[in-house]
Amino acid sequence: MAACTNTTAPSDGGTGSDDDIKIGTLLDVTSWDPAQADIGFDGPYLSAVYDPLVSLNEDSDPVPGLAMSWKYSADRLKLTMELREDVTFSDGEVFDAAAAVQNLEHLKAGVRSGATYANVERFEEVDEDTIALHLKQKDEALLYYMGLGRSWIASPAAIKAETLATQPVGSGPYTYESNTSTPGSEYVFTKRPEHWDDQTYPFGTLHVLPIADPTASFNAMLSGQLDVAYANATDIPRAKERGWNVAADVATWVGIQFTDRTGERLKPLGDVRVRRAVNHAFDGAAMLESVGQGAGSATNQVFPAGGPVHDPSLDDRYAHDMDKAKELMADAGYADGFEVTMPMSSIFQPWQPSVEQTLGELGIKVTWKDLSPADYQKNAATYPMFVAVLALDSNPAASMDGRIVSEQWFNPNPSTQEFPEVQKLIDEALDVTGEEQLPLIRELNEEITEQAWQSVWYQADNTYFSVEDITVTPITGMMFPTLRFIQRG
Amino acid sequence: MFRFTIRRLMAGVALLLIVTSATFFLAHLAIGDPTAGLLGNSATPAQRAALHEKLGLDRPLFVQFWDWFSHALRGDFGTSWRNFQPVSDQIALRVPVTLSVVIAATVLAAVLGLAVGVATGLHPGGALARVLKLASVVLFALPGFWVSLVLVMLFAVRLQWFPAVGYVPLTQSASGWLSSITLPAVALALSAIVMIAEQLRNGFVEVTKQDYVRTLRARGLSPRRVTLHVLRNASPAALTVLAVMFVGLLGGAIVVEIIFNLPGIGQLTQSASQIGDIPILLGLTAVTVVFVVLVNFLLDLVLGWINPKVRDI
Repeated sequence: MAACTNTTAPSDGGTGSDDDIKIGTLLDVTSWDPAQADIGFDGPYLSAVYDPLVSLNEDSDPVPGLAMSWKYSADRLKLTMELREDVTFSDGEVFDAAAAVQNLEHLKAGVRSGATYANVERFEEVDEDTIALHLKQKDEALLYYMGLGRSWIASPAAIKAETLATQPVGSGPYTYESNTSTPGSEYVFTKRPEHWDDQTYPFGTLHVLPIADPTASFNAMLSGQLDVAYANATDIPRAKERGWNVAADVATWVGIQFTDRTGERLKPLGDVRVRRAVNHAFDGAAMLESVGQGAGSATNQVFPAGGPVHDPSLDDRYAHDMDKAKELMADAGYADGFEVTMPMSSIFQPWQPSVEQTLGELGIKVTWKDLSPADYQKNAATYPMFVAVLALDSNPAASMDGRIVSEQWFNPNPSTQEFPEVQKLIDEALDVTGEEQLPLIRELNEEITEQAWQSVWYQADNTYFSVEDITVTPITGMMFPTLRFIQRG
Repeated sequence: MFRFTIRRLMAGVALLLIVTSATFFLAHLAIGDPTAGLLGNSATPAQRAALHEKLGLDRPLFVQFWDWFSHALRGDFGTSWRNFQPVSDQIALRVPVTLSVVIAATVLAAVLGLAVGVATGLHPGGALARVLKLASVVLFALPGFWVSLVLVMLFAVRLQWFPAVGYVPLTQSASGWLSSITLPAVALALSAIVMIAEQLRNGFVEVTKQDYVRTLRARGLSPRRVTLHVLRNASPAALTVLAVMFVGLLGGAIVVEIIFNLPGIGQLTQSASQIGDIPILLGLTAVTVVFVVLVNFLLDLVLGWINPKVRDI
């Protein structure tokens, strides 16, 4: 019976045809409309049908996509891009400056994509193959976000017809086969032989399967239904036994987010000694081993381990030391601890016992307020501190902006002005560009680590399995990498 | 029979109203504002406010309810908060998947349950009856997900007779469809087969003791015709179990849908719950209640047809 179906394949990986690839990802496509799509897990779907203006390379640096080159003006407020001239969409429409501007305006107006272009005042069609982005203020993370998944270019006709959400039409390396796809279960794509970047996409037919359950995903790999899978770290030994490739890189930081660093709502948190005490109290390495299955890096920092800002020497800054933690609490005048109410939801329960026990040893009595997972994001930051698993960005400027400077749901009151040293470094970093920013962001990282802005226990990996002849290159910032990072070899 | 039918229909409509209203208000109370979850980490408060307005969450809750309810009456369940697509389209894609598995499991349970039930009813002390007893103990002791995983490991991973994950629509390939629903249907049906067989066997043993059965035998009716008479009178309990099973399988399908990665309403319910996609949850609740009402209505009609006294209840 298996031979009659299109859902089975030979054992131990390999999908029967050398030309095919079956990729198992965690989530279903959010939307085929790039303006409504997510960056996180939509990468494999959207990168099949769309080309980006800007791509990222393996180091997360912006590299050409449909924009062949770009140049900033001296004041960094105008970004001029030269476009490819040999590109057509799968519906026959031609890619040119007008199409690019139409797409960028569509993305700027998008519910999910709009944030990337918040600093762009207008888009200009300079000539047939040149566009310009006029910025309201400097934005050193713009090209990174565009490359991460915020510059997918769709057919102008499809944008106009408002049909993109269900019928993607792009100039990408594959076309979506709606007749042989089963939404929610398996999406099928066939290669466009005329694609301008044919070499980067070695697979003839592409299947993307959203599989939310890690056990189901692993079983699909075992039965040969998948060549690549979003994996559970607990399965790594079994994957290695079978000769599969295992690729992993940090994707999130795990720990406690202090939303009140000024002590406005909970006075003790306004004292850096208390925040440092909490940092010293947790044994991040042990939590990484026990709860995180060892898949990640024990660190105190919110900049990705292995990245250009992360400083390994700071990882010992808050070595696990309960005596020191208690001493700091006593120095701050809280030898008997204090009481705090924290939110909890099922997603964070694996860490709950450790948090309760560790804070309890410091005398900090936690009262838990149960929330639904969906409500957690809305309400967690209304508490002075909460258990957090938050995404990382590989780009230093994006990390600085997203984790420290701008208001986010998890950081509704950045309060940088209350920390003069922090604010000074932010101002200095924003005043310069590119390579000049790096040392300043490194200093900023050191400063917020010193100020214990968070209690980071560890950074957790995203893990991917692939059969022997396929490799996956994880990119921090993409929860599942786009197709250019899934290659033969 | 007409009044009986109308009464049952009105009870169904009332149930639909109560359950969907309760779900609406409870979901809004429990989930609240979902915009942060929908927009992700990088969303600014301004973006959240814009989405809040776009989704109509800035209106009073009763206004939102009336808006949803008046549209739902016309079959319009609104748009998903995740992908902004019509809820009815997404449910229409998912219902055939769940129904495929649940109907296949119900048919399997009915046929095998009937066969085993009659066989053990005719020979209550036989070997098959003892096997049934043991199977009922074992299957109730084992969690459903474990049974599903054993089926996957044996028939999909080791023997590769069936796919481990995925669903093929009937319109795409009949054999592919059958192959993709076989293991999930078997996983769902196993305990149902045992329950139906047990009910039928008990009913059989009970009815066989009745005087009229002895009379039928004394009149020289063939054992086959006597068995058919007994079956008609022993079946209401099993039929009720079958209907309850069907409804239960609709809810229980979530486990097999996750294990076998089937894009059915169970999986959709789970993902919608995680991100607080209330329009999807409300649409799914309404559709599930309609199924429950329909199944119970059909059961009542069948029971009323078998036993006219039921119509007066």
